[in-house]
Amino acid sequence: MGRTKAILIDITKCIGCKSCEAACKQIHGFPPESNGELSPTTLTVVEQHAIGQSEDRFVRRLCMNCQDPACASACLVGALKKTDLGPVTYEASKCIGCRYCIVACPFSVPRYEWSKLAPTVKKCDMCYARQAKGQQPACVEACPVQASISGWRDELLEEAQRRILADSKYVKHIYGSEEVGGTSVFFLSDVPFEKLGFKLVPAQAMPILTANALGDIPTVVLVGGGLLAGLYWITNRRKLVAQAEGVDIAQVTGEKESHHV
Amino acid sequence: MSKLHLPKITFWQTVVAIIFMAGAYAAFSRFALGFQQSTHLTDAQPWGLWVGLGTLCGVGLSAGGFAIAAAVYLLGFERYRQVVRAAVLLSFLGYLSVIVGMMYELGLPWRIWHPIVMWNRHSVLFEVSWCVMLYTSVLAFEFSPSLIEKIPLPRLRKLYLRLHHHLLIALVLVGAILSSLHQSFLGGLYLLAKGKLDPLWYSSYLPTLFYLSAVPAGLAATLMAVFLCNRSLKTRVDPAILSEMSQIIAPLLYLYALLRFTDIVTHGVAGYLFQWREETLLFWVEIGLFVIAPVALLSRARVRNSPQALYGTCSMVVMGFMANRLNVSITAFQTTSGVYYVPKWTEFALSLATVTAAAVAFHYAVRYLDILPRTVPEPTWTANDPATA
Repeated sequence: MGRTKAILIDITKCIGCKSCEAACKQIHGFPPESNGELSPTTLTVVEQHAIGQSEDRFVRRLCMNCQDPACASACLVGALKKTDLGPVTYEASKCIGCRYCIVACPFSVPRYEWSKLAPTVKKCDMCYARQAKGQQPACVEACPVQASISGWRDELLEEAQRRILADSKYVKHIYGSEEVGGTSVFFLSDVPFEKLGFKLVPAQAMPILTANALGDIPTVVLVGGGLLAGLYWITNRRKLVAQAEGVDIAQVTGEKESHHV
Repeated sequence: MSKLHLPKITFWQTVVAIIFMAGAYAAFSRFALGFQQSTHLTDAQPWGLWVGLGTLCGVGLSAGGFAIAAAVYLLGFERYRQVVRAAVLLSFLGYLSVIVGMMYELGLPWRIWHPIVMWNRHSVLFEVSWCVMLYTSVLAFEFSPSLIEKIPLPRLRKLYLRLHHHLLIALVLVGAILSSLHQSFLGGLYLLAKGKLDPLWYSSYLPTLFYLSAVPAGLAATLMAVFLCNRSLKTRVDPAILSEMSQIIAPLLYLYALLRFTDIVTHGVAGYLFQWREETLLFWVEIGLFVIAPVALLSRARVRNSPQALYGTCSMVVMGFMANRLNVSITAFQTTSGVYYVPKWTEFALSLATVTAAAVAFHYAVRYLDILPRTVPEPTWTANDPATA
């Protein structure tokens, strides 16, 4: 994979104005109401976390657009795809509604339209259509304080590293740089991530977990098939030998009289 | 004065009618009102009873067909030839019920054919869907002579049965491999749920564990079905065969328990085995029903030689197996998801109606086709025997 796009979110800069939320809803034509959680019509949400007595931190939630996404490996029809540009896109016309992507997502992001009669999956795709045209994601463009910025993933990682080194207030970790093999959305924080509701996810990319099992298919087919074929050959040979020697096959195998095939 | 002869309505016919009516309403609410009205599914619990019971238990309990077909046709266990048709029929109906279940489980069921043309070979579910499609076709073929031999066209019958005879061995072999693959890959689905699934159930050996539990559970389900046919449908399967089958089930359960506990210890989560938590309790219920009680019971000759006791023991195996699949698919997610999912009654109704339809189909197939050896002349359409309802 070549250079990919990413979003860097600096929690120390976020003022909780929710302009990102509003811009996201507007660009998708969703109703402005929100219950403070991700939903089929709220693809990004700003959560407020109380730190100590009077301090708050605002944390945006959105699809992490993983580098090696569990959802895309899970989707049996390939409706979810990691694009070359970076965003993980969803092609609703392929989806059969199995919801394995929702089971598989380590960040529990995808939302299902449970109330609809022809439901599809909803999640952020970092405004793939806009980014493909060279525009920024709507949420980033709307951010008045540049708490969210977008750009090339490698450059944003360098920028994040620079900020951590320049200011000792930051936690010495870029959330998303290594989680589940790396994501396209990064977070910087001055408060330990676990206190802000960030999930402790496996370090390795999730698809490896199933790739090993799928890799066993040829072995099962060859060894299992060979073994069964060999055993059948022995069974059959015993019957033929018994027949040639003029012994009743029923005596050899203990078969009882049966009208079955 | 002539007496009017109406068919007697039996207890079981009433039960079946009620189940089908409830199922019909549930189907209406699923398709006319949607998931939100017909289920308690949420984004935190996107797979519920229809996957846990319908798909995981449905496929798992249908493992008897491939196991017995392979034993008889490939390994030469001629003794089991008496029950091979019943085992294949049970599996075939089991898989059909899974496919019917998919029609209401999937959000967009009219696209169920998509995996045939839209491929993602990195997806475990893709492999499962192909295996289930192919294996259901194999089962239909394995079962077909039971129907074809009833066709009153001798030449067609002969032609078909000859073709069947030539292909059978190869297809039984293919069926055994397809079954081994998707039985284990159903467990493989949950490999991606690392960090979400409770440590007592998450394991990198989930595929192997699913496979090793499906075979004894499928055999137990077959044994139960044969027992019921002997009791109520006047078939005549040698009870000694049921006893022999049970002697295969016990070592398979041992093997499963050995891997399960070795795995728990080597994953370093043995501490969870003795904590006071709901999950741990459910774990021991599952292991008690699936392994401990059946293994203890099957070690006694008195149990093995009594068809009733065997039936009871096998029903424990089946219940323990179902507990395992429901734990993996539902309860093992509860701590991390923070959502306590209890299926809505319509979910139960639709699952129950699907299983009942399969059971009714099995009943009539055994009555009117040559599925199992018989003692009495075939019943006629006007037969009115309460025991066969």
